[in-house]
Amino acid sequence: MGKYIIKRIIYMIFVFFVMSFVLFFLYNMIPGDPARAQLEPLKNKLTPEEYQYRYEQLRKTMGLDDPLIVRYGKWIRNTLKGDLGMSIVYKQPVIEVVKTPLKNTVFINIFAIALALGITIPLGIHCAVKKNSLFDKTVQVLTIVGYSIPVFIIVLLFIYVFAVILQWFPVSGMSTPNFKGTPFQAFLDRLYHLALPLMVLTVGSLGGMTRYVRAAMIEALSMDCIKTARAKGLKEKVVIYSHAWRNALLPVITLIIGWLMSVFSGSLVVERMFNLHGMGKFYIDALSNQDYNVALAIQMFYIVIALIGNLITDLSYGLVDPRVRVNR
Amino acid sequence: MNANKNSNNKKPSFLYLLFTKLFGGKKQLSLLEEEQMESPFRIVINNFKDNKVAMTGLIVFILIFIFVMVGPYFFPIDLSFAETSQQNVPPGFDLMKVPKELQGKIQQISIGPTFSVGISTDGKIYVWGKTKVTKAIDVKNMPKNMGKIVKVAAGYDHILAMNDKGQLFAWGSNRNGQANIPPEVAKLDNIVDIKAGYQCSMVLTADGYTYFFGNSMNNDYNPNHKYQGQIAQIELTSDAVVGLTFDGQVVYLGYQQNSYSNIPENMGKVVDIATTASTIAAVNEEGRVFVWGNVTKGEGDVPHTESKIVDIQGGRYHYSAITEDGKVVAWGANYYKQASVPKKLQQLEVTKLFTGYYQNYAVTKDGKLITWGLKGYPLGTDDLGRDILTRLVHGGFMTMTVGAIAVIISTIIGVIIGSISGYFGGRTDMILQRVTEMISSLPFLPFVMILSALIGNSMDTNQKIMLIMVILGLLSWPGLSRLVRAQVLSVREQEYVTAARAMGVKQINIVFKHILPNVISVILVSATLDFATCMLIEATLSFLGFGVPAPYPTWGNMLYGSNNSTVIQNYWWRWVFPSIILGICVICINVIGDGLRDAIDPRTQER
Repeated sequence: MGKYIIKRIIYMIFVFFVMSFVLFFLYNMIPGDPARAQLEPLKNKLTPEEYQYRYEQLRKTMGLDDPLIVRYGKWIRNTLKGDLGMSIVYKQPVIEVVKTPLKNTVFINIFAIALALGITIPLGIHCAVKKNSLFDKTVQVLTIVGYSIPVFIIVLLFIYVFAVILQWFPVSGMSTPNFKGTPFQAFLDRLYHLALPLMVLTVGSLGGMTRYVRAAMIEALSMDCIKTARAKGLKEKVVIYSHAWRNALLPVITLIIGWLMSVFSGSLVVERMFNLHGMGKFYIDALSNQDYNVALAIQMFYIVIALIGNLITDLSYGLVDPRVRVNR
Repeated sequence: MNANKNSNNKKPSFLYLLFTKLFGGKKQLSLLEEEQMESPFRIVINNFKDNKVAMTGLIVFILIFIFVMVGPYFFPIDLSFAETSQQNVPPGFDLMKVPKELQGKIQQISIGPTFSVGISTDGKIYVWGKTKVTKAIDVKNMPKNMGKIVKVAAGYDHILAMNDKGQLFAWGSNRNGQANIPPEVAKLDNIVDIKAGYQCSMVLTADGYTYFFGNSMNNDYNPNHKYQGQIAQIELTSDAVVGLTFDGQVVYLGYQQNSYSNIPENMGKVVDIATTASTIAAVNEEGRVFVWGNVTKGEGDVPHTESKIVDIQGGRYHYSAITEDGKVVAWGANYYKQASVPKKLQQLEVTKLFTGYYQNYAVTKDGKLITWGLKGYPLGTDDLGRDILTRLVHGGFMTMTVGAIAVIISTIIGVIIGSISGYFGGRTDMILQRVTEMISSLPFLPFVMILSALIGNSMDTNQKIMLIMVILGLLSWPGLSRLVRAQVLSVREQEYVTAARAMGVKQINIVFKHILPNVISVILVSATLDFATCMLIEATLSFLGFGVPAPYPTWGNMLYGSNNSTVIQNYWWRWVFPSIILGICVICINVIGDGLRDAIDPRTQER
């Protein structure tokens, strides 16, 4: 097992470097000259010769004439040291700028995932137990609808129903501007503003997850041990929740672990549509403002998250179920 | 089989068959008959046919498919089209629905962008069409107790009316003071004509004086023009004023020197003038028509008429005219059929003709009303005045094309990589698996966005569409390749493969000619489901503004810009229709995919 983990981590690092190079290469394809951009404000104060001299100096210090691989080396060294460059829009180090949206995203996603799990697991189990009943069939159809409809349509629909017609929740934003009150009131205010995005995130993930839980549970219910348990005369409740659910948990838990990593990534669509200051919206804003240092940093962050997520998912197969040998 | 044939000699109708196939009523076969079912392919089809949900999905999808494939031929699209006067028009066909009470006694009709106002011979006023100009302003809300109305004029977003005592009334939008009757106009008692234009109103008195109120920045009008006291008729383009003097001379009433003021010489005595949004037309005593201004949409192509033209009317970009013997001709822009005079009008004698924007109303000698032009929009218009149905059809075509090509690319890559890596195993497998994992560990949406933003910013629209297809195809194959690899692994040790190998068939032929046909069903299901996914991703990307760029419609980018409460609340048709059709289409494809999987592998159905 230890050997396998080390192998996986080495492989992960390899992938990380390959991906970072690819991304760095992509960002270097953008037309633009950072040295000229930096000198632009001084252009009128300098004579042309002086300007040309300063410009060439700057190009040298910034290393713009070096071959791509040298520049990549410099950049990756800085990145690994934690220096991701400056944000052009915010005029601050990227690390500082990213902190707030990351906090917001984690805050939103923890609630969303808890809600989604709280609904899908009981629903999936119930559907599996009452397989082919009217209820199950209805849920099956609804889940197909659920995972077929893109999130932005769900958002539009929810805004229309809950914010425009019923006016229960605000249309967008994270909190009331200039809110004054106790921390607890502030928390409640935040929840009030986040209610609609939370609902959308939950509904959006219901479809796929319910189907997954249901399939796992049906698989588990058809096992021989269930027949044995029933033959022993155990109560149906015990059979379902103690015998079957434990077996169904194996595939489900690996999915959940992978899912937990998405706590950090944030939904691009939902955050943008509700104007929540989270990672997803931050990323889109950085892309459309051409703040490429920020976009590159977030992209690298996403890749790291995905890689770690994959590793944990793979390892968890073995951890959850001792019968599975991961180091094939 | 024979007995079965005999019992069916009465041929059931197509509809009966459709419904029995769809909603059950299938004849139970005996065991022997069931044995006679031939190929596994046949079984798959029959299984699929029995799945009612999947069949419904298939039929609905085929209908949508036909709709978007055939539709573009019926609804041609002009990508650069934009029409400010038709912005955000709700769905409906009532733009020319003249109220019953008015028919048969029409005194005058005046036409606005999406509404028309008419007065009857007994002085009653009626407004029809899409009368809600903005969220708050509805031109239907007219002042009360106006008395007997004798003249009416519809502007861009307001209406002007005058009663038999010479009193003026104005209502509708008043942002630029176009419905604010100034005191010196209110005390006039010899008004003969009123005109309402784009954010402005004009009044003409019997002694030839003109008065103007409203937005004087947009409309070029000089209140102290040298023809005060000589004007017999006035007309408004969307930004200028022209007049006709008592002695039949056309004059420009503004300050500027422009294409309007460049009035043709030697027109003779002009009897009538008319304007479109950007051109002016004059007809002289001999019936000759002169058109000048910014002629861009064929306003100057006056058709030949048998008798001379006596009366001319201007729409938004077209003209219509009555000849001496009561025949009607029309020319100019024709994209709403506003310049296509109905055939039945050729036999009738027209006495009154009212044209404005995209509508035409002709009253015949016996009082019959005939209309032609823009009736309305089946699904409304968007923020640039484009018809949503047209965009929906073309958008569907684009969305499906992008989805289909992306799926074809990803399926080809997935199948090749999956089967090679499954069949050959060893080091090849190792390397290909690592590549697959690398691609599948990419956060999909952010990465596609970055590619489209970075590579795409130096591309034109067509290249960008290609780029989206290729990116989607290049990044979405890992799932399929894993599936194919697993299938090939399970098949490759079977006897027929060993036999092929023993016979010395080339390895590459074994993979693609012997093994692949046996796993085609898995590929088919996966490709179907991937098609739905690709359509969704394209829609999401376009919605976020990183997909197919603006003038080309797709179902996703039609929703771009509808993400604010104003649009969601007031212009529901702009987001409801694209959402519905996209949703239904993806649901159908997913249902078909699920049905196919169940049909191919009946074991999964037990789940």
